[in-house]
Amino acid sequence: MSWVTWKQHRLEGAWALSIGTVLAAAIAYVAYQLHLAACPDAVNAYCFTGDLGGQIAQQLANFNLYTYGLAVLPALAGAFIGCPMVAREVENGTHRLAWTQGVTRLRWLVTKIVLVFVPVMAIAAVAGALEVVLINQLGSNPNRWNWFDQQAPVTVAATLFALSLGLFVGAVMGRSIPAMAVTLVAFVIVRIGLAELGRPHYLAPLAYTTHDMSNFNSPPQVYPGAWWVDYASFYDSAGHMVSNAGSANGAYATNVTYAIQHFQPADRFWTFQGIESGILVGLSAILIGFAIYWVTRRVS
Amino acid sequence: MIAPIQATGLGKRFGRTWALRDCSIRIPAGKIAGLVGPNGAGKTTFLHLVAGLLAPTTGEVTVFGRSPRSQLLLLLDRVGFVAQDTPLYTSFTVADMLRFGRRLNSRWDQASAEQRLRGLNIPFDRRIGHLSGGQRSQVGLALALGKRPELLLLDEPVARLDPLARREFMQGLTEAVAEDGISVLLSSHVIGDLERVCDYLIIITEGRVQVTGEIEELLAAHHLLVGPRIHESVRPPDVEVIKASHTERQSSLWVRGRPPHMPEGWREQPVSLEELVITYLSTPGAAALPRPELEEVSA
Repeated sequence: MSWVTWKQHRLEGAWALSIGTVLAAAIAYVAYQLHLAACPDAVNAYCFTGDLGGQIAQQLANFNLYTYGLAVLPALAGAFIGCPMVAREVENGTHRLAWTQGVTRLRWLVTKIVLVFVPVMAIAAVAGALEVVLINQLGSNPNRWNWFDQQAPVTVAATLFALSLGLFVGAVMGRSIPAMAVTLVAFVIVRIGLAELGRPHYLAPLAYTTHDMSNFNSPPQVYPGAWWVDYASFYDSAGHMVSNAGSANGAYATNVTYAIQHFQPADRFWTFQGIESGILVGLSAILIGFAIYWVTRRVS
Repeated sequence: MIAPIQATGLGKRFGRTWALRDCSIRIPAGKIAGLVGPNGAGKTTFLHLVAGLLAPTTGEVTVFGRSPRSQLLLLLDRVGFVAQDTPLYTSFTVADMLRFGRRLNSRWDQASAEQRLRGLNIPFDRRIGHLSGGQRSQVGLALALGKRPELLLLDEPVARLDPLARREFMQGLTEAVAEDGISVLLSSHVIGDLERVCDYLIIITEGRVQVTGEIEELLAAHHLLVGPRIHESVRPPDVEVIKASHTERQSSLWVRGRPPHMPEGWREQPVSLEELVITYLSTPGAAALPRPELEEVSA
């Protein structure tokens, strides 16, 4: 069964490995150049040496390809690798060949899942870990929250989720191309929905309150590396909200006496990575379970 | 002896449509059984139920006494299946396809599979997608036989082949079966092919089994009676009229059974397999099934 999986999926594997290698190399190179430049504690800012190597790294950093790549590539893996795993067989009728050999459908599918998913997740792990290293070069207090989706372990969990989603949708629809479209849309909805609606509330945000309106800036620099999850709200002496738009105009309004803004502190970053990874892994387990049910019970 | 295939009240519904209904068949061991019926009659559904690809809606089917759904693991190695249009991986070479068979089947016989294809001059390094239809069917058959099955299921194996490739395929099949004593169930709508290779016949129409039996016995039991024109309501005694056709001067009756004596002016003719099949297919109401008590005795 492992030879069959290798024979059928090595092309996708080669693609994943090539793209993953280019991506990892770009991240590693930028990280190395940042290390050479030995940035001062300039939070979230890139700095490079003036020589050619530094300039190339600057171009790469400006281009931001690896930042987008780490967020987008899991979705593509789900569509191009996950979807065809079952759908292509059903499309070509070859599932009736594969499932009448001396191997049960369960073993057939589980072998494929393990042998296809694990290498792709390993590539995502390498790229995500290198991104962690890169961010470590951005001074002593880099704001990791700005690259939440690009760091391991979330890159790995997101890749697993995309592959599981693709596998499930492909198995149910039985046609690769429509399954790819559905997978891409569903992946984007889940990832954005989770980032916008779930992530700020994994743990109750802390509140920062200040009465010093003369020196107010938004977001405040008081907690370095923090993720400010909302805009500042401004209140008058009676406790009524004057503005929650976070605009400085509110601060200068004569009746404002204090401001509140909510944040997740820097030291929660890895907890949040763990929580989001856990959610994605849980969703993946459900999708894989449904895919196995569908393949062993429903498709014919 | 446990029957290779035994179906009892087997039915399969897709949505609101019954593809197969109340199907009771017992296929004897060591025979080549032909499954005949018009397109959409339920042949493929029946084969998929036997191969464990589908679950029955009603009734049950057993293969060597085991359920293809709950005990599939015990059957996968023993049953060879070639689905309609012989699905194979088009990007694989012939050698890859044999390796696929070897990797996935514990009783695989590489030597005989290779010998079979070499005998047909099929190049091992050619991709499946570049083979002719006939060669492709032969690779599918070699793959199914290579796992040394005790039961071989073939769904329309020659439907897309030219007459010469058909003959070659059927010949290869007969030889293999004669060597290993495999039981075969093959569906087809080309009756001429069945006549040469099959010794057992099942006719399915509109999702129901119409005829089952040994071809020799069926042919011996059916006759065409031709005589002077009789009234349409007249029924000869002791025979079952399956179909009657009348011209101005002459009446033809396709009957099951044999009248004790021929009336004046009537003569009896043997019926060919093709005629027999067409007679039944054109009268879906008629049936020739073994009587239940005989079934019990033989079981």
